[in-house]
Amino acid sequence: MRCFPSYLIPFFLLFWTAVASDYYERLILKPLPQSNLLASFNFKSNTNLSQFEAHNFRYFPRSLGQILQHVGTRELHLRFSLGRWDAESWGRRPWDGTKEGGTGVELWAWLEADTDEEADRKWRSLTNALSGLFCASLNFIDETRTTRPVISFQPEGTHPDSSLANMQLLHGVLPREVVCTENLTPFLKLLPCKGKAGISSLLDGHKLFDASWQSMAIDIRPLCLNGEECVLQIEQTIDMVLDIERSKRPRDNPIPRPPPAHDLKCNSTKPYHSGDTCFPTDFLEGQEWALDQVFGKPIKGACPLTGPDATPVCFVAPLSRDIYTTAGATEIKDSNGVTRCYKIPSDADFSMILPRMSREGEQAKSDADEMVKPETPLLYAERSFTGHGQERGGVRTILTNPSPDYEVEFVYMESLPWFMRIYLHTLRTQINNGASGHNKDVIEEIYYRPALDRTRGTQLELRMRIPPASAVFLTYDFEKSILRYTEYPPDANRGFDVAAAIITILPSTVPNAPYARAITSNLRTTTLLLSLPTPDFSMPYNVIIFTSTAIALAFGGLYNILIRRFVGADEGPDVSVSGLKGRIVATIITLSRKIKGAKGKLD
Amino acid sequence: MLRRDPRLLKLPPYLSFLCIVVGVVWLLMLPLDQYSRRTYISENALLPGQVHTYFSGSDQNVFRAYRHEIDALKNRTNTEANDELEKIFKGIGLKVGRQNYTYHSSGNTYAGENIYAILQAPRGDATEAIVLIAAWKNIEGQFNRNGLPLALSLTRYFRRWSLWSKDIILVVPPDSTAGTQAWVDAYHDAHDPSHVASLPIKSGALQGAIAIDYAQESRFESVHIIYDGVNGQLPNLDLINSVVNIASGQMGMGSALQGIWKHSQQYDDNLKTVLRGMLNQALGHSTGPHSSFIPYHVDAITLQPVGQGWHDEMGLGRLIEGLFRSLNNLLEKLHQSFFFYLLIHKHRFVSIGTYLPSAMLIASNFTIMAIALWVKSGYREPDAAANKQANHDRHWTRQAAREEEEARLIAAATAAAERDVLLPLTFVAACQFAGVVPLFIFNQTPTSLLAPAFTLFSLFNIGLPYLASYFLTAGVRPPTAQQYMLIRSFSLLLLGMFLSSLATLNFSLAFMIGLLASPLSFARPWGSSAPTPTSTASTTSTTDIMRYVHATLLHVVSPPTVLLVSSLLGGVPLGRVLEEAAFGWNIWGMYTPLVVWCVWWPAWLVGQVVVLGRPPAPSENGKPKRA
Repeated sequence: MRCFPSYLIPFFLLFWTAVASDYYERLILKPLPQSNLLASFNFKSNTNLSQFEAHNFRYFPRSLGQILQHVGTRELHLRFSLGRWDAESWGRRPWDGTKEGGTGVELWAWLEADTDEEADRKWRSLTNALSGLFCASLNFIDETRTTRPVISFQPEGTHPDSSLANMQLLHGVLPREVVCTENLTPFLKLLPCKGKAGISSLLDGHKLFDASWQSMAIDIRPLCLNGEECVLQIEQTIDMVLDIERSKRPRDNPIPRPPPAHDLKCNSTKPYHSGDTCFPTDFLEGQEWALDQVFGKPIKGACPLTGPDATPVCFVAPLSRDIYTTAGATEIKDSNGVTRCYKIPSDADFSMILPRMSREGEQAKSDADEMVKPETPLLYAERSFTGHGQERGGVRTILTNPSPDYEVEFVYMESLPWFMRIYLHTLRTQINNGASGHNKDVIEEIYYRPALDRTRGTQLELRMRIPPASAVFLTYDFEKSILRYTEYPPDANRGFDVAAAIITILPSTVPNAPYARAITSNLRTTTLLLSLPTPDFSMPYNVIIFTSTAIALAFGGLYNILIRRFVGADEGPDVSVSGLKGRIVATIITLSRKIKGAKGKLD
Repeated sequence: MLRRDPRLLKLPPYLSFLCIVVGVVWLLMLPLDQYSRRTYISENALLPGQVHTYFSGSDQNVFRAYRHEIDALKNRTNTEANDELEKIFKGIGLKVGRQNYTYHSSGNTYAGENIYAILQAPRGDATEAIVLIAAWKNIEGQFNRNGLPLALSLTRYFRRWSLWSKDIILVVPPDSTAGTQAWVDAYHDAHDPSHVASLPIKSGALQGAIAIDYAQESRFESVHIIYDGVNGQLPNLDLINSVVNIASGQMGMGSALQGIWKHSQQYDDNLKTVLRGMLNQALGHSTGPHSSFIPYHVDAITLQPVGQGWHDEMGLGRLIEGLFRSLNNLLEKLHQSFFFYLLIHKHRFVSIGTYLPSAMLIASNFTIMAIALWVKSGYREPDAAANKQANHDRHWTRQAAREEEEARLIAAATAAAERDVLLPLTFVAACQFAGVVPLFIFNQTPTSLLAPAFTLFSLFNIGLPYLASYFLTAGVRPPTAQQYMLIRSFSLLLLGMFLSSLATLNFSLAFMIGLLASPLSFARPWGSSAPTPTSTASTTSTTDIMRYVHATLLHVVSPPTVLLVSSLLGGVPLGRVLEEAAFGWNIWGMYTPLVVWCVWWPAWLVGQVVVLGRPPAPSENGKPKRA
């Protein structure tokens, strides 16, 4: 394990306020372009490490705490994600991407283990326990889905050097896991206010899983600050992007029926504009919503554990944006000029109303008055399959550095299933930076752990550096294996999900770089759907039926021949006429024959 | 003994003729209800027609506005029109990509710019996508005046739903032939970057594609389902069944296949549907913007409203909405139902197990003849009649003579002869490779020269067999009767092999080529009965006449003649047919020209040379007469 890197220090400054109190929660609302709203829920609970070890959990969820103690987990990160972040319109990711996972479920943890076998054993019991706790198929993270990333992840907590030595990082992804309400319920149960009060009372499965993008994260890490006792912190984060128009629909009538013609927002400057012809202007009108409208319910008072000075709700938009809140709330403007936070009463519902700001007339407002312009992300990544057919294929990732001045250094990590056999020699990078034609190799370091059939997947980590304003096409080819009949999952013709590539942007080494560049940030590509040659599953049944029939016929005949003793008709005892019974039977037969014969003659 | 019975060798031609007859009769029986099956939805996840559709009301106002916008763009250039479309797409909140392509075929340049927009599934992860295609011009070159606004307003409507599990891609190519091909090639990275640009944005695996071809101005009665793909590949039958099901069950619309608007569901209309389907399949051309998708295993169809009825564009929109909802339900790729079928009418079909034998029988007739000829070539020829006469002198008693004769005949018929295969192999191989020449000519000649090139080639084609026959017989060692037999055998063997493997890929093409080439099974040299010293000049001239009559008849079924006649019958100018064929070969990867010029034409050429051949009589010591 590497020694503790210095660039993680800014994190601790961030956590300072959090560590000060034992429970902290905050909802940050940020309007995004095209009628979207980003809502970031953040909850932190601390407990002293000594108390934790004494099974005195306090705000720390006991169910999780016991699991962690049982398997010796030093640090744990669990992610449930759905949808995709539209970086092009929404800009930088919330929390710089550090609190999101690839589509599905992602888990990584540092376990105390002296040997690999011990780590594997602990990892297995950890995934099984978490699987039960979160109602997710985490137990399906077997050795083929587990990787041990080398350069992509670094511990976030403070670990003494003595424990760093025997900490093992294991990472597993379930890209096919569909995140749904059954995962939210256990997530909320971990909170001290359990969704009954505070910002967590807004969380509702219907709204959360109707969001355009959502991510639930749990991070558990030990934090030590100078002069204070070390604490174990659990941080729970839920980020979601709501489509305001969609969220505003009433819950009992969610169908997007066409609005009445007079409610359509039309561009009346068009020459053909009339009562029955309307060129729609969907996003030009600006946003208009209320907190209880988009979440379906208001905040049911502050969570009493947050303390009297806490400001649980913050709104990030220019101060020119009109906001009305329910009575009893206090607005506190932040010094950065775009954030307003609200102290909310603990015994009354809290809601915010954001009226439509007229885009016409004397005091016409524009988008700039309603929302902070999204910041350009440090890197765009797009990954897709190339080629077609059942035998081989390729993967192409386009990594774009939009910045005109700064180069960006990052680690690109792929963990691929074993049945996708990659050809490392086909790994190519092609840099496309327009005018300046210098094509130095962008890959600085490769860590590659090849797949073993049915035992482990491919792990590929690339440290890359992209010059300013250029795009890198990273391509490699692979071969599709043919699976055994029983290895296909249900609905095999759908294809196999390939986990998202994880990109860890390393802090810039340039002095005086902006803050966003001086920290580690993450982003993940979308998952891919790999179609493998799939048999016709009715065929084995046909084969079974055919072979069974053949065997039955052959076996029956053969058995008959082998077992039965054949004798000539005249050699054996005369069964038909021997004994009284035989004689009677013979008489009946002859009689019946005679009768039949007589009948036949009559006919 | 039957095995040594010389009559056994006489059987194959009859057997092979029987194969052809049974093959054709088999096909004609297929439209009967006893041999077809009722269609059914095999993939339960599709649930066609089970959802309420809401595309109506004020969305029609939007549709009208979009139609005004599209009308205004009708006469603009491709790029200008796409600029405007891009604005509309961005207004709806879609991700927009554009792609340039330039194809060259027959000296023409087909260039244009595709524009497409991705509606990202609100909760999806870009693993799967469904495509909606609305080309500016349909396959006949008509302006898709209603189809394009419909696609736009549908996409805008779809954006309001959050239930999509797959991205929806709206593709607007400038035409229905080259543009979609360029797009789908680039989507699968199977494109030539020098002609077709890569796509700037992509989504997941394509699970289905629906094209709207709504150039008709008025309201419509039924929806025409166009389903033939390039090279006769077909979409999954479930997709067609879903459309029929939704259209009739939910919308009260009719649906039509293969351009038959009023289907009586009787034998004659059934047969017509099958034959039209087979013709489209055999031609292997693109029948709509959907065709290019099918080779990539993306099930695709084109919907074209036809007839005069009361359904308006919103009805078609609801049909497509219902279809998209069905496709959206799919967990797996469409795989349950049939990929190889002949549709009889919208509710009945014939599956591959039932129809394949007819093409296989026709293909096997060639194989039977080839094997028979190979066997026959191994027997020594019964000695010339001259020998017979000599024998007559030696044997005086009639009885003894007959016995002797019989024994000799059996011995002759069963005696093995050495096969001289070098010349036949070389000749057949040369003819096969010669097929590359017309293939090259017709795919590389500029459009204006295609018709003249065809005329020249046809004229040359008339003389070619005589020329080839002349060179073959003029050499120092002209081919013997056995070698002619071997030439026929090899050529027919190849033809049978090609056609039976083609039948599994493109049944109709194999069937039609097989039928047109069937006279080749019976092509034989007319000079093979060796002229005896007693033969008169009149018999020789009769054979000559027969030879030329046979050759002329074979000319009737030569590829150029068939091409010419079918273009006259179809009412399409020959130049257009050839241009289309070249376009298909160069851009769609259509292999029909390859089959015509490299399978059928060489076999025909060999057949013709064989008919014109004059194998020398064994008694003449290799001094053949010349034509």
